Amino acid sequence: MQGLTREQRERYQRNILLPGVGSEGQEKLLRSRVLVVGTGGLGSPVAYYLAAAGVGYLGLVDADVVDLSNLQRQILHRTGDVGRPKVESARDKLVALNPDVQVEVFLERLSAAGALSLIEGYDIVVDCTDNFATRFLLNETCLRLGKPFIYGGVLAFAGQVMTVVPGAGPCLRCIFPHEPDPHVPGCAELGVLGAVPGVIGTIQATEAIKYLLGLGDLLVGRLLTYDALSMTFLEVSVGRDPGCPACSQEMR
Amino acid sequence: MRLEVRVFSGLEKFMPGARFGQAIEVERPEGTTVAGLVDSLGIPRSQVFTVLVNGRHAAMDAVLQPGDRVSLFPPVGGG
Repeated sequence: MQGLTREQRERYQRNILLPGVGSEGQEKLLRSRVLVVGTGGLGSPVAYYLAAAGVGYLGLVDADVVDLSNLQRQILHRTGDVGRPKVESARDKLVALNPDVQVEVFLERLSAAGALSLIEGYDIVVDCTDNFATRFLLNETCLRLGKPFIYGGVLAFAGQVMTVVPGAGPCLRCIFPHEPDPHVPGCAELGVLGAVPGVIGTIQATEAIKYLLGLGDLLVGRLLTYDALSMTFLEVSVGRDPGCPACSQEMR
Repeated sequence: MRLEVRVFSGLEKFMPGARFGQAIEVERPEGTTVAGLVDSLGIPRSQVFTVLVNGRHAAMDAVLQPGDRVSLFPPVGGG
């Protein structure tokens, strides 16, 4: 190991000062690989904080292009990026923020065929998607590979976050076994306050860094719910479902 | 039997007076199912994405027991 450069010691000084981080932790972050699936409302703060913290390798997955209606919450993208692929817009900002970070972009929707080989190359996955079909694919693929992933979701004034560590607690489908009724309104119909995915994404980024450094207690078996209107965080303890369609088979 | 109900993330709007995640005590006959409880609360079943009973997922046809803590969630799926 060659250690940190003088510039890196300065850039990451506030990380290095933290108990449990130090130069060693920072070097670990610089060697870490995180896959961020979705570069919208959640993916923006997640990727930005991970890049700022010096997570050395970020993979970004998103098939969408930036739309004007995204900019109220998707803080990685700017007005001039409208029409550009989100992953490319995101990469520009992240590399400009921190040239230590290598950003690999995947201009595609995560597919059942490609998920395994993609996720295999990363230490942890952060779910910044906008639909449960993709979340379930992430959940099942991560269970198979034994990789942790961090669920985040938002709706109107509300958000939720939970960390799934295979074998250590419930998986996503222990709590949400089925896809939602397609007629139930989502953010496109009900709206979402832009800062809400900021709050949830920031918690996801915090969880990812804690996992990478082995710090503190993760949100395993704890669904953290947030309501912006009452400005309340509530933790709901959740257990594994012995009849879970995903992990009761995987873990046997 | 007495049940403790909590609604989250927007389902409050279907129950006048309900607040995010705050326990509401309700009295229901023995043998009430999850679906029966949801219907009696006036929440459309289609809006309920998941039901946790004492922290574990429960199906709509599950029969509730006295003192159960029931939490109802809509799909919080945006990103």
